[in-house]
Amino acid sequence: MITRRILLGTALALGLAGTAAAAFPDRSITLVIPFAAGGSTDVVGRIVAERMSKELGQQVVVQNVGGAGGSLGAQQVAKADPDGYTILMGTVATHALNPLILKQKPYDPVADFAPVSLLVLVPNVLAVHPDVPAQTVQELIDLAKKEPLAYASSGNGTPLHLSGELFKAMAGVQIDHIPYKGSGPALTDVLGNQVPIIFDNLPSASGHISSGKLRALGVTTAERAPSFPDVPAIAETLPGYETYSWNALFAPAGTPSDAIEALAAAAQATMADPAVAERMAEFSATIVASTPEELAQHVKAEMAKWEPVVQDANVSMD
Amino acid sequence: MDLLSNLAMGFGVASSLANLAFCLIGVLLGTLIGVLPGIGATATIAMLLPITFQLEPVSSLIMLAGIYYGAQYGGSTTAILINMPGESSSAVTAIDGYQMARQGRAGTALAVAALGSFFAGSVATFLVAIFAPPLTAIALQFGAAEYFSLMVMGLVMSVALAHGSVLKALAMVVLGLLLGMVGTDVYTGAPRFTMGMTQFADGLNFVAVAVGVFGIAEILRNLEDEHDRQVMTKNITRLFPSREEFRQMIGPVLRGTGVGSVLGILPGGGAILAAFASYTVEKKLSKHPEEFGKGALAGVAGPESANNAGAQTSFIPLLTLGIPANPVMALMIGAMIIQGIVPGPNVVSEQPQLFWGIIASMWIGNLMLVVLNLPLIGLWVKLLTVPYFVLFPIIMAMCSIGVYSVNSNPYDLFAVAFFGLLGYVMSKLRCEPAPLLLGFVLGPLLEENLRRAMILSRGDPTTFVTRPISAGLLVLSLAILVLVFLPQIRKRRDEVFTESDA
Repeated sequence: MITRRILLGTALALGLAGTAAAAFPDRSITLVIPFAAGGSTDVVGRIVAERMSKELGQQVVVQNVGGAGGSLGAQQVAKADPDGYTILMGTVATHALNPLILKQKPYDPVADFAPVSLLVLVPNVLAVHPDVPAQTVQELIDLAKKEPLAYASSGNGTPLHLSGELFKAMAGVQIDHIPYKGSGPALTDVLGNQVPIIFDNLPSASGHISSGKLRALGVTTAERAPSFPDVPAIAETLPGYETYSWNALFAPAGTPSDAIEALAAAAQATMADPAVAERMAEFSATIVASTPEELAQHVKAEMAKWEPVVQDANVSMD
Repeated sequence: MDLLSNLAMGFGVASSLANLAFCLIGVLLGTLIGVLPGIGATATIAMLLPITFQLEPVSSLIMLAGIYYGAQYGGSTTAILINMPGESSSAVTAIDGYQMARQGRAGTALAVAALGSFFAGSVATFLVAIFAPPLTAIALQFGAAEYFSLMVMGLVMSVALAHGSVLKALAMVVLGLLLGMVGTDVYTGAPRFTMGMTQFADGLNFVAVAVGVFGIAEILRNLEDEHDRQVMTKNITRLFPSREEFRQMIGPVLRGTGVGSVLGILPGGGAILAAFASYTVEKKLSKHPEEFGKGALAGVAGPESANNAGAQTSFIPLLTLGIPANPVMALMIGAMIIQGIVPGPNVVSEQPQLFWGIIASMWIGNLMLVVLNLPLIGLWVKLLTVPYFVLFPIIMAMCSIGVYSVNSNPYDLFAVAFFGLLGYVMSKLRCEPAPLLLGFVLGPLLEENLRRAMILSRGDPTTFVTRPISAGLLVLSLAILVLVFLPQIRKRRDEVFTESDA
């Protein structure tokens, strides 16, 4: 089973890139994760790295380069040798939001990178403390029009903050934003009802939702999440509302196409593995496993989508 | 009865041969990395995460937990022997522990630290077992206003840490607060004092600052007068505490355990305060407060117990809520997710084997640690006889590797060099590094929670006194302030009088 997939992946790479592809990879590959170990991007990255090592026949070594909301790690890969041996686990933050928000751009998300594969989409969720009277998204909007409310997010300029800002703009309500340093402390304060509302990644909030400590009002994806079929999509109340986090592999711009193809084939084979698929499903992540071209399109679409939100929310950083 | 059967199940899980082995590997690794200056539990656990893929979830978490509290033991060893704390909590141990070592009482200090930690660890483990759910409920009562008041109390206490001039201690606290402001402002996203370098966007690295102001500064100072060092090894009369010293440590250990257990539960900075709080308590209760800072046994026993108790009880929010109290706990959550366990309140009911197995392993691990560490004391003390020209380059290299491994950020190394020089200048000016470090740790939390509380109260400052827990903490801070300054003022008056007499 596994060997067949390796053969398939290698064959695919060979077919697309000619005989030179047989040489790649001949040593270990570094996968830079631009966030601290233990977060959701790190978890996805490590599961993928482990499986990709088998596909490529070379170790894929995870290196966490956290800091500046993912910019440091992305910057490091943008400047790395374009040989395919240093790749990045990019996210909506590194390849759409940060470049839009930062006044001083440390890198160009399009020109400095060669896209490899969009791996997964991860839904976000709008949840409230069980004591909050609103049972639905509509009731929350009505409540927000009557009394002052506040929502917690994992930080300023994060996808969750902007999911909240997009929600406020589309619903036409004012809700105070309370940023935290990461999801953990934000969740703590919502569990303790210090702050009534939270926008969080679905994977990080899912345990609290299924235990009833938080009430999920809506997921941010256009469709309901398969892991929580009873939770409606916010779009059912606010048509057109759609946000999600995503994880994608990028290599530095100028990486030879045979290396890109080999990496993309390995990534696609990895995501097709039922064991990986099961892990991702537990994690509420939807598998995409796109081609490099599709990822390039995706980055452009995401930047176009977020630009007005970022401007309306007036978040910018020097 | 539930508790007993649960604990029995936990011990059943934890005492399987494989899990005992993983526990031992964990505490051994933890002790080792704790002893190596600069390399902390966070970096080690991050590096070992991929290995845990292949293990059973219980085994991997037992091992990772072992690394964490093993490092707490080992960290105090370097703090005592070479004045090099690897974590915020052992910064306090360094104050009196290192002075004891300089007087030739290194063995005693290490033994006191190990025994105090063992006692505190065992008690706190049982607290975790019995009170985890109700204690979590209390922790959730802590909102931004309460944390702000808690941090105020911490800062007030920090003045008591000083054994010299209160004014200089205050200056150091303020400098620490300012250094804590470096980095991105949480509320506006504006970078502050980063000198345009994105590498400092997340602030200065704690390990870099601590290693600099304590360790590197100490090395520089020692290079000035090497003969000073003879005392440390020559005066060693015995390695273990005398009966009298045992008697002296009972009180501080008990109080430290209490303080540490309570503060450890609070996610978000509570555990940091434990060691500092215990030191303040001991200094206030001591009949000889003048000994503190000059090698007081209670100054090692109390904080060490508090820090270890806090390390154990900080598992409570992790296990009952799935909420990390510190970066190491965040990694443990990552490890759980990788294993397909959704962290959260359901872990206790859905994975009782995991929950009780980890708790039982913590007790076993603590026992292993004390058995491992007591015989090693002789060996550690021998380290002091290694000549400087061998020891110092090794320490510097280990520090650099350790600091770099936290974030793979070369700018952290520049920070070590800078703070090493700053620490040296500070020691020349007789300013102490501990208050600076406390200000550095508490400052960001103080500001973050002050502003959060103000947003939540919509600009109404009375929120700090109308919320009962917050008000209580503020009253307590005021009381401590009076207690600290009263003797100072009295002494000043006495001085004035003696001068006019003369």
